[in-house]
Amino acid sequence: MLSLSRRWLRITPAVCRFASSHAHSPSDSKNARIMRILEKRIEERKRLSSELSHDMSSSADIIRLKQLKESEPLQAAWDEYTRTRQLLDETTALFEDSDEAMRALALEEHQSLSTSLTSLISSHIPSLLIPPSPTTHLSAMLELKSGVGGSESSLFLADLMRMYLRLANSRRWHTSVVSQNENEGGGIKDALVEVKGDGAYEALRWESGVHRVQRVPATEASGRVHTSTVAVIVLPLVEETDSADALFSMDDVKIEVMRARGAGGQHVNKTESAVRLTHIPTGITVSMQDERSQHQNKRRAFTVLRSRLMDLKISREIAERRATRQSLVRTADRSEKIRTYNYAQERVTDHRIGLTLKNLSSVLEGDGLQDFIDALQKDHAESVLEDMLSAE
Amino acid sequence: MASKLLSILATSLGPTQARLELKWMQQQARHPAQLTEMVTRRSRGEPLQYILGSQPFGPLNLLTRPPVLIPRPETEHWVIKLADRTSASPTSPKSLLDLGTGSGCIPLLLCHLLPQGSLRTHGVDISPQALDLAKENAAVCGIPPSSPGSCARNTRNTFTATLGNFLDPMFSEDATIDPPYDIITCNPPYIPWHEYLKLPRSVTAYEDPKALFGGPTGLDFYHAIAHLVRQTNFIRPGAVVALEVGHNQAQDVERIMRVHAHVRDTEIWPDPWGKQRTVLAHL
Repeated sequence: MLSLSRRWLRITPAVCRFASSHAHSPSDSKNARIMRILEKRIEERKRLSSELSHDMSSSADIIRLKQLKESEPLQAAWDEYTRTRQLLDETTALFEDSDEAMRALALEEHQSLSTSLTSLISSHIPSLLIPPSPTTHLSAMLELKSGVGGSESSLFLADLMRMYLRLANSRRWHTSVVSQNENEGGGIKDALVEVKGDGAYEALRWESGVHRVQRVPATEASGRVHTSTVAVIVLPLVEETDSADALFSMDDVKIEVMRARGAGGQHVNKTESAVRLTHIPTGITVSMQDERSQHQNKRRAFTVLRSRLMDLKISREIAERRATRQSLVRTADRSEKIRTYNYAQERVTDHRIGLTLKNLSSVLEGDGLQDFIDALQKDHAESVLEDMLSAE
Repeated sequence: MASKLLSILATSLGPTQARLELKWMQQQARHPAQLTEMVTRRSRGEPLQYILGSQPFGPLNLLTRPPVLIPRPETEHWVIKLADRTSASPTSPKSLLDLGTGSGCIPLLLCHLLPQGSLRTHGVDISPQALDLAKENAAVCGIPPSSPGSCARNTRNTFTATLGNFLDPMFSEDATIDPPYDIITCNPPYIPWHEYLKLPRSVTAYEDPKALFGGPTGLDFYHAIAHLVRQTNFIRPGAVVALEVGHNQAQDVERIMRVHAHVRDTEIWPDPWGKQRTVLAHL
C-alpha cells in the first residue's frame, strides 16, 4: 500500500481539502479527545527517554526504562496512526488526478485507509489507554439466593446455577459448591460456589444483581405465568496466601460456635460443627455449617469473609474515584433488576445495556451467557473510557 | 423418599441437624438402600461418625470404628492450638508420648501440622482395637513409623503405637516406651460415675467405656499422670504436659499437677464453647 501511494504521489503532488471537509459526527469529538490523551502519553514518553542518563547510572533510569517498556504499545499505535494519516493525505491528493482510473483507485484506497484509521482510534487505541484492572486475575465467589416466588424461585436458582457451572466448565474454570441448601419442594434455596481461574471474577462480576424469570412453573397446574427472582452476588475470591492480611486483623474477628453443647468433650458425640464469624468494624457476619469439621467450616467462613471485605474495598475504591473524578461508571447496585428470562417469548433481556437475545435456551444451556458477558465487559470498558475522557 | 428419610431423622435430631446429616449421608451412600440403612441406624442412636466411618480432624480425615472413641471437636481445637505454640524443627526435634491414644488423633494431627523431621510421636493404649485403628489412621494420613532402635534422625514426623496401661505404677519401666519426653499429651477417660446416667445413648451404647470412665470422681488417670511426671528422667526439663479435662475438672486437675507432680507453671485453655477444656503444665 505504501509503495503504491508513493508512486501516485510522484505523479500528482497537488493537495486536496476533501478529507477534512467531512461533516463532524458526534464520535469525531470523542475520537479527538482519545487522540489528545494518546498524544500526551507520547510526549511523556519523549520526556522520559530524554531524561535517561547516558550511562544508565541512576536507579531512576530503571524505573524510566520500565515505564518506557510498558508504553511501547502506545508508541506503536501512535506510529501506525501517523503513518496511516500521512497515507490518507497522500491518497486524497490523487482525487483531482486527470486519470479517471487513478481517481477511482484513490477513492478505493482512501476508503480502506479510513476504515483502518477509525478502528485504530475507536477500538485499538482506547484498549491500550484503559489502565489494566487490578482484579483481572482474581477468582470468584458466586452467591445465589432465591428471592420472591417461593419454590419457583428455588427451581430457577437451580437453573441459573447450572448455567454458571456450564459456563465455568467451558471457560476451564474450576468450580466447587461450598454450600447449598435444598428446597423441600425441589430446587435450591441458596448456594455458594467457588469459581477458580484467571478472569473468573472479571467475567462474572457483571452477573451481580436481581435475575427475574417469567414462566409457567412446572408446579403450576392452571398454566398461569409467574414472575420470580433470584439474587446473584459475585465476590472476588481472595486466596489465603494473597495479601489478605491487610483486609482485616484477627483481633477484629469474633469467632462463635453456633450451639450450646452441654458438658461437651467425651460426654457428647453429636456433630456440631457450625461456625459464625463477625467482623466487628464492618458488622459483616458469615455462618458456615456445611462441613462436618468445625475447623473446615472456619476456614471456609474466613474465605467468604475475605471475599466480602475485598468486595467492600473494591466498591469503596470505585466510590472514591467517582467522588474525585465525576465518574460515569455505573453503580453495582445489587438490588437492581438486571436481567429478565422470559420463557413464553423465548428471550433474555439485560436491562442495563438493553440487549435482548431471542434464544433463551442458548443462554441457559449454550454460549448465550458469554455473549451477554462480552457485551457487558465492552460496555464497562467504554464507560471507563468515558470516565477517562471526562477527566481529561 | 428423601423427605421421608428427613422426617425420620428430624424426629431424633431436629430439622436443621437432620438436613445436614442427611446431606452428609447422601454424599457417602452408594445406593438408595444403603442410605435407608444409614438413616435407620442413625435414628436408633448410632453415632454419625461410626455410620460414615470417618471424622475430619483438622485437615486430616480419620477413620472411626466402634468402640474406639470418636475424635471430638474440643480435642481438635486444643491440639491445633498446641501445634501453634510448639516450636520444633528438624535441628531440634521433639519426642512426644500420647497416653490413651485411641484413634491416634492427637499425635497424628501434631505430626501433620509441625515441620517434617521435627517430631517423633508414640501412642499407648490399653485397647488392641484402638491400636489397630491408630496404626491404620497413621497409614491413611501418610505418617510413617520411626525405625526402632535407630539413632538416625528421621526426615519425616513419625508415629508408633504399642499396647500399654499407664495406670500401672510400673508403666515408666515399660520397655516399649522411650523416655525422656518433651511433650506428654493425654485425653484420658474423665467421666465420673455420677454423670454416667446423664450421657446420651449414642455415647454409652457405642463408645468404649474404657475410654470414657475415669473412676468414681473421674480423676483417677490424672493422678496416674502426676505420678509418671514425677519419675526421674521421664520428661525433659522444659517439657509440656497437655491434658484434656471434663467440663468442671480443670481446677482439680490443675491442683493435682501442682500438688502431686510439683509443677509450678500451669495454664488452662477454654474450648470454643467456653468450657475450661485443657490443662497445660510447663516443667
